[in-house]
Amino acid sequence: MKTRKHKSDFAILFATLGLMAVGLIVIYAIGPMRANVLNSTYGTDYDANYFFIGQLRSVGLSLIAFFAAFKWIPYKYLKKWAKPMMIVALVLSALLWFLSLVGSSLAKCELGECRWFNFGIISFQPAEFLKLALVIYLADFLNRKKEEGTVGKFKEFWLPLLVVCGLSLFLVVIAQGDLGTGVALIAIIFGMLLMSGLSMRQYLIMVAIVLVVAVGAVVTSTHRMERVNAWLATMSGSESSDSTYHVENAMLAIGVGGFFGVGIGNSVQATGYLPESINDSVFAIMGETFGFVGLFLIIAVFASLLFRMLKVAEHTEDNEDRLLVVGVFSWMLAQIVVNIMAMTSLVPVTGITLPLLSYGGTSMIFIAFALGLVLQLSCYTSREVIKNEDTNSGRGLRRSYNSSRRSRP
Amino acid sequence: MPQSNTGVLQRFKILRNIVFVLIGVILVRLFFIQIIEHNDWVARADEQHTLLEVITPRRGEIYMMDDGEPVAVVLNQTTYQVVIDPTVTKKEDIEKIVNEYVKDYTIVDLNEVYNTDGLRYSIVAKNVPRETAEKVAESGIPAIWLKKVNQRVYPEGELASGLLGFVNNEGVGQYGVEGSLNDVLSGKEGLIKTIADVNKVALSIGNDNIKIPAEDGENIVLSVDRGLEKGVEEIAANTVANSTATNASVLIMNPNNGEVITMANVPTYDPGNYAKVSDASVYVNQVTDVPYEPASICKNFAFSAAINEGKMTSETTYFNKGFEEVDGWKIQNAEQRASLYGTLTMKDALYWSLNTGSIYALKLLGDDPNSINQTGREKLYDYYHNKFRLGKITGIELIEAAGYIEDPNEGWGRDSTYANMTFGQNLGITMIQTATAFSAVVNGGVYHTPNVVKGTINNGKFTAKSMVEDVNDKILSDETSAMMRDMLINNRGYKVRGGIDRAGYAIGGKSGTAQVVVNGAYDDTFAQLVGSYIGFVGPSNELPKYVIMVKMWGEGQSIDSGQAMSLFDSLSNYLIDYLKIKPGV
Repeated sequence: MKTRKHKSDFAILFATLGLMAVGLIVIYAIGPMRANVLNSTYGTDYDANYFFIGQLRSVGLSLIAFFAAFKWIPYKYLKKWAKPMMIVALVLSALLWFLSLVGSSLAKCELGECRWFNFGIISFQPAEFLKLALVIYLADFLNRKKEEGTVGKFKEFWLPLLVVCGLSLFLVVIAQGDLGTGVALIAIIFGMLLMSGLSMRQYLIMVAIVLVVAVGAVVTSTHRMERVNAWLATMSGSESSDSTYHVENAMLAIGVGGFFGVGIGNSVQATGYLPESINDSVFAIMGETFGFVGLFLIIAVFASLLFRMLKVAEHTEDNEDRLLVVGVFSWMLAQIVVNIMAMTSLVPVTGITLPLLSYGGTSMIFIAFALGLVLQLSCYTSREVIKNEDTNSGRGLRRSYNSSRRSRP
Repeated sequence: MPQSNTGVLQRFKILRNIVFVLIGVILVRLFFIQIIEHNDWVARADEQHTLLEVITPRRGEIYMMDDGEPVAVVLNQTTYQVVIDPTVTKKEDIEKIVNEYVKDYTIVDLNEVYNTDGLRYSIVAKNVPRETAEKVAESGIPAIWLKKVNQRVYPEGELASGLLGFVNNEGVGQYGVEGSLNDVLSGKEGLIKTIADVNKVALSIGNDNIKIPAEDGENIVLSVDRGLEKGVEEIAANTVANSTATNASVLIMNPNNGEVITMANVPTYDPGNYAKVSDASVYVNQVTDVPYEPASICKNFAFSAAINEGKMTSETTYFNKGFEEVDGWKIQNAEQRASLYGTLTMKDALYWSLNTGSIYALKLLGDDPNSINQTGREKLYDYYHNKFRLGKITGIELIEAAGYIEDPNEGWGRDSTYANMTFGQNLGITMIQTATAFSAVVNGGVYHTPNVVKGTINNGKFTAKSMVEDVNDKILSDETSAMMRDMLINNRGYKVRGGIDRAGYAIGGKSGTAQVVVNGAYDDTFAQLVGSYIGFVGPSNELPKYVIMVKMWGEGQSIDSGQAMSLFDSLSNYLIDYLKIKPGV
């Protein structure tokens, strides 16, 4: 039984648009400071409005992506392209790696990490595309395996899953040195696996294995261990050093904000003290600018976005659709939580954008596209919480506990 | 195992709970940072964001007089320091700058700078002239600052170095006028307290910004005449070069107001390169900062005291036997020719510079022609220390040593000590003290506080302003002074075989040859002597216009007053010509 199309989830729509608007305002306020710092430090010649215009362009493209995914590209067609998209995403990442190895100028590198394709005025980060492709691919893969009844089987399920996920993580974490995206990928994989019908035992074993591998990867790498030590140092409040500078200044910005913040345009930390002030550290600048009240509201918007996505998933009858929504949810959750926790020294700094708020085109466009897909699927939710085709018990025929849905047709 | 409906719902619950827990943790953390720790972070932010910048005031310049007009002899020149933040400035960039432009001014080893962890401020080059600094600025390399520094320039080179002093690397004046008037010259520092960005550029954010402007130092005009100073230094240097002396000091002042017009010390040094001297004693202003024994010059003071007390005149006679015995010490005259034994006038005693004469004046001060007594000692002390202000700071705007005058009653051997003091031994007084006291002797008896600052100059406008208070103390009667002048003019006949002092001028003087104390006693072998001469110059039948004091010496050298006197002779004539002093009638 297919549910009739109804209106989309307004909360997701407005949360997305609202966050983009807030991001624009903040970049408008601190973009000139950023330009000034870069100009005086590196002798560049950025216009005061350079970053605002850049963000405006990103928001424009993101809105196009968002509405394209929402209105014009039906997921039922898109999902047929899951495998080719995944292959393209992996090939692009592999190509970037290859280009960086041969030292091509097409690979844009910063601080020794090559994460961007450089096409003159436009640059493109394949890892962002990889996240979207992985969500779409896994939704397709896990749904197929469930229909085949091979979930949890080694040869049919684990082997192809490990190959695709392992390859993705290798290209992102090892080849591009992008631990932040790696964390997001792992969150996507485990978020979707949880909903794949995998037994809890196998799921927890897999979580344990990944944890062991992750700890091993940290302990065996001096570079990663350094970051962890820096994090532990800030947690214990010991001596400042170069490696603790970033997180200390993020916390300083947040702490200075106090209850109501210093107000728009009065951020001092954005004048060069806080690294990545418009990208990964934008949350800290918002903390300084808008204070606890502002951050509380922003987190509330993020939370409502996340909870609404979960609700959409819960009320989505189609398994693949549901998996997709959970994938996007996991992606968003990982980026929001890891970014904010890094800024507040709850986890080591990893370098991950804050969805819809950070400066940066590729990240926002793909997140917006993913949210557009979720919004599209929100038009097909049922009044009821998921009906499960696999069960005979009938215990699941519970009424929706969401009273707000009564207004829906 | 088939998945149950509740299983899926439970898994949604897990996800929902994960979101709740994570957001809960984040909010608690934010509350902790933003509300509880807020003040701590604000304090740390203040420390990080506040830029305290001292505004250095412009140091005052120093002028001398020349032909009645002030001319600058000490100027400021702006130079630049090249400063980098090694964490931002690339090493290749700054190396390029150093090699291309500022190699000669570089003061650090760049390898060392870049190997120092956490260094965010390093002065790479100093004393860079403006044109070169502009080239550095135009190179467009980021994160290089050019810091303005005011440097002292002495366009006259070594002229009056002992009087002027110098400014050290920290910008503090040392020795001379630079040292003594450092506070006036340096002005007051200003302060900027502001919120700044990471590159230390002030921001308009924040309400606590403070700006206290700097107060520039005053431009000081000295009473010293530049041309005269130059001429006198040349003559003194030539005299030293043609003698066994190594040093000479000359002081020329106006006895009628205490104004110093020449203060020369030879050898000189270059205050702009003060660190290059081999012997730091050249920094010391010998005129004001070194007490010594001017010897027979002090007879003027002993004679003045006795005349002023009405105890004697220039015609008073005494019996000269060539020596005196006091406290068991035999004090001899330097001049031992047999024709002088017998009854002599005090005028003759001064002319021949007989120690027995000045001791006789001391006896007369105590109303006992046969012996020195307490009254005499106390009277002499009163004149030396209280009236002539010997052995204490005069108050001139320079670094001074006080010297000493022995107490008339405390201590052993007072009579012999005081007998010695009448001819300028057993005391320590500076040239400025001696010349100022001598000025009072010849100017009609008024003690004027010596001074070397005539006023200040601002935007080319001169303002007369004295920095000392003139005590203007009438210590001798007109008659005493006139009698002393007559005797001093009479002195000029001694050893002066005519033609040196020109007609129409009243020139008087007195020599002094000091023995040097070796192992606590005066060295009677005269192996080392310090020669001094003091005199006045003016038109005949008028009060003197100038007092000139000369001191010449050399380590281990026997420089008698004759050499000092011939330097005086040259200088008195030079002075008449240079200042175009008209002869009297």
